[in-house]
Amino acid sequence: MPEEIPTSPEAQVPEAQPVFDGGEPLLHDEPSAALPPSSFSEPPASSRSHWFLAVIVAIIGWTLPGGGHLLLRRWARALVSFCAVAVLVFAGYKMRGNIFPPHGTDAFDFLGFLADAGAGIFYPLAKAAQTAGPDVSRAAGDYGTRLLATAGVLNVLILLDAVQIALGEKN
Amino acid sequence: MRGGTGEAMILTHFQTMCLFAFVVSLAFAFLSRNRLKERLRYAIYAFLAFLLVAVAMGWLMYPVSH
Repeated sequence: MPEEIPTSPEAQVPEAQPVFDGGEPLLHDEPSAALPPSSFSEPPASSRSHWFLAVIVAIIGWTLPGGGHLLLRRWARALVSFCAVAVLVFAGYKMRGNIFPPHGTDAFDFLGFLADAGAGIFYPLAKAAQTAGPDVSRAAGDYGTRLLATAGVLNVLILLDAVQIALGEKN
Repeated sequence: MRGGTGEAMILTHFQTMCLFAFVVSLAFAFLSRNRLKERLRYAIYAFLAFLLVAVAMGWLMYPVSH
């Protein structure tokens, strides 16, 4: 006698496969509600390695603009990031913008230092190269100050992008 | 634009704005898009948006400056 084939829609749906195994999600599914909360208490080893990689990427990305993407083999992003920060710093330096020192006299100087320091290796390079000092008596010097700050902030955005990629939150 | 050793490079406000807009829009395009065509389109869009907003803001502030 032939085997009876189920005809109801419920019977045709295959049995649900487990999507969560010991705290590590499979197939990027949401964790099942049936699992106890203790499944999430211990971060998986891959998560820890992602965080370690993200910290390394952040440090390298800050030190050398585009270095984080270079480490992640995102060649185009690394090249454009490096060139973008380099062009902004070079233009700001050539326009004799103000490169804020670490020990500013007021809060705005300190904020300016934070923005400038975001450029990583370019900050001490520009500081060392600018022997004549800033010249903000002309508008161009003021524009240069803004370009230098933009370079630092842009590099922070770039390294955050690299960190997101390292964490697997972004493709 | 002047340049040279010991002399500051002088760019006008508009030239500086164009430089800023070009570099930043290119960086944004490469960070936020994955395909070359999308990046190019986004870079042009962001560049024009930077310029348009800056010019619009300038005209908005014009009555206040006089």
